[in-house]
Amino acid sequence: MAELKTFKGGIHPPYNKELASGKAIKAAPIPSEVVIHLQQHIGAPCEPLVKEGDRVELGQKIGEAQAFVSAPVHASVSGTVKAITEVPNFTGAKVKSVIITPDPEQPEFQKRTGKDLDALTAEEVREIAKEAGLVGMGGAAFPTHVKITPPKDKPIDIVIINACECEPFLTCDHRLLLERTDDLIAGARLLKTAVGAGKVIFGVEANKMDAVDALRSRASSYPDVEVEVLEVKYPEGAEKMLIFALTGRKVPPGKLPSEVGCLVQNVGTAVALYEAAAWGKPLYERVVTVTGPGVREPANLLARIGTPISVLLEACGGLVGNPVKLIMGGPMTGWAQKDASAPVVKGTSGVVVLTSDVVDLGEESECVRCGKCVEVCPMFLSPNFIVQSVKRGQWDKAEMWGALDCFECGCCSFECPAYIPHVQYVRKAKAEIAALKKK
Amino acid sequence: MAMDNLVLTPPPHLRSKEQTAVAMRDVLIALAPITIAALVAFTYNALFNIAVCVGSAMFFELVARKIRKKKVTLSDGSAAVTGLLLALLLPAKIHWLNMIIASFVAVVIVKELMGGLGRNIFNPALFGFVFILIGSGFLASWTGHLGFLPGGFDGVQAATPVAYIKHGLQGAPSYAALLFANYGGAISEVGCFWILLGGAYLLYRKVINWVIPVTILATVFILAYILGSDGLYQILAGGVMLGAFFMATDWVTSPMYRWGQAVFGLIIGICIVLIRLYGGPSGAVAYSILIGNAFVPLLDKVFKPKRFGEVVAA
Ligand code: SF4
Ligand code: SF4
Repeated sequence: MAELKTFKGGIHPPYNKELASGKAIKAAPIPSEVVIHLQQHIGAPCEPLVKEGDRVELGQKIGEAQAFVSAPVHASVSGTVKAITEVPNFTGAKVKSVIITPDPEQPEFQKRTGKDLDALTAEEVREIAKEAGLVGMGGAAFPTHVKITPPKDKPIDIVIINACECEPFLTCDHRLLLERTDDLIAGARLLKTAVGAGKVIFGVEANKMDAVDALRSRASSYPDVEVEVLEVKYPEGAEKMLIFALTGRKVPPGKLPSEVGCLVQNVGTAVALYEAAAWGKPLYERVVTVTGPGVREPANLLARIGTPISVLLEACGGLVGNPVKLIMGGPMTGWAQKDASAPVVKGTSGVVVLTSDVVDLGEESECVRCGKCVEVCPMFLSPNFIVQSVKRGQWDKAEMWGALDCFECGCCSFECPAYIPHVQYVRKAKAEIAALKKK
Repeated sequence: MAMDNLVLTPPPHLRSKEQTAVAMRDVLIALAPITIAALVAFTYNALFNIAVCVGSAMFFELVARKIRKKKVTLSDGSAAVTGLLLALLLPAKIHWLNMIIASFVAVVIVKELMGGLGRNIFNPALFGFVFILIGSGFLASWTGHLGFLPGGFDGVQAATPVAYIKHGLQGAPSYAALLFANYGGAISEVGCFWILLGGAYLLYRKVINWVIPVTILATVFILAYILGSDGLYQILAGGVMLGAFFMATDWVTSPMYRWGQAVFGLIIGICIVLIRLYGGPSGAVAYSILIGNAFVPLLDKVFKPKRFGEVVAA
């Protein structure tokens, strides 16, 4: 067998995809209250368009973007605005949010039909993405319309659909690949239109060959769509790694994919773009994988934005074993929660519950210079020296060793025999360096 | 739902099975064959030496951590490794006080006073060994005369395999003897085979990588050949194997990056051959590795890898 395409470095964590990969997407229950943050994304927060006591309809815009790098938010249920107040999000930061009490009877979304997607212009696609409040649904939640508006001097020739889903446990993209194949391909081709690219490449990890087959059979009629199989390795789906694996192009440090003529979008985002363009449906729900050894019946749930994760866990039969980590997102990059109150946001790909038998909470000790972090860092940084510089407060050195180029994949900490949480140190370094640069 | 035990630690939430203590345990396992071979050859003397070195190394570490009011780190196994390596470097008949001094220097001066495991520049066991080697000829005057346990082989009185290197190989032990059972100077010079076995285990367990051992052995072999000496004999005799697999590969005191490791191996290999051919008869490997250790900070600077996508400015 030929070598599969991949990048250098990286790790092989336990994937545990089988817990949820066979579970078809099903609708999550409507909660008794939805909490919609007015800032779901990277960029400026939205201004609320509604006030306490207002009636809202499903899909109605309730928060308007105030800047270019921002995305509007929409009501995920029909109901009444109970309050507009500050609520902690999954990171613990307080953000202004619209709390809606849903009507007992929820309407079906009225799909608009008959739209000719091939006739849309780049400008129109961007406008659709913006109005529908699309953001990157892989976790980073960067507003999509910004990403598909590349600088004029940097033409984009390839659209890459990140179908790696390299985070362990998560299967929401896998399900979309299988269940929404046609819509996904249509969405990907809309992205191609938006940036004027020549082709679309789907990058799929080799642990999803059923998805590869589905894509290949449905895409065979499109000469501009390619499907590539990639080695199963974390973080294969990181933008720079994925671009390199598929095209051999290297995005320079501190630069964006447009620098090398590429646009990378996640599977969920491409499907959402299709729904927005074909049906006029804004982004008010998404697939969330609820899984892990601590979840009784793992599932892929189509959840309304703003649903508290406790509701999702209950829909999965509740918890089992001795749960010690409740993670919003994937186990490599997600945020540990202190309870299940955080609401689903547009970037929530999963809720993972880990039990005491799979979590190793060793104590941080001194770096023993084993070099394992250097070996696995896909950015070829020196995580150990970044940590050392942070401990000494030498921010210029931290930058020299690559703190700003770290995209926080966590490979280094995964392998570190001294249990050093590099990512935490890197975040500190980034904040300090940014503060120094402002001065 | 039962959520009382939730912990809030930063990502990643999964980790490999790597642990410093496991790696140290692997080193001890890898040292088992040569240790057993030494015990078979030198019986009580070897047992006594190992007990004194390991015991005192652990004792000194315990005391040093307590005095510095730091967490006691005996369980990471690094003190035990230091003690065992020290014992393996020494001849069978050596006064116990020498061992205590070496152990003190290794653990307290070289390791703990530098900040503990991870911060020392020099390999502790080697530094302790060289300290008593230089220290007013202790080794020469005390071994043999003051060794007080019976049995075993008096390594220093007879010509060691390394001593032949400088003066020609007539009468030197055969390759096979060096591989399996020649009794040289140190108690670990009882057959390279046992060391290679341990080295293979360390490679298999990914505790070490091949770069340092291979560059050292290759450099010694080739340079010895160029200088008219027997390359194979040179890598089999004395402490080259032990040094290449167990000392130069010490995580803390070797370079981080592959190219740095290669140059490190090159430096050590060159020093070994030159010292052996033109310097004194004992400690060539120890001195060479310590010289290599001194270059590590520089090598880490010079060979810092280019970041992903970074273009080298011409
Ligand atoms: S993996 Fe951990 S112990 Fe090893 S060099 Fe990196 S930071 Fe140090
Ligand atoms: S330093 Fe950053 S990019 Fe490199 S492995 Fe660690 S988290 Fe990933």
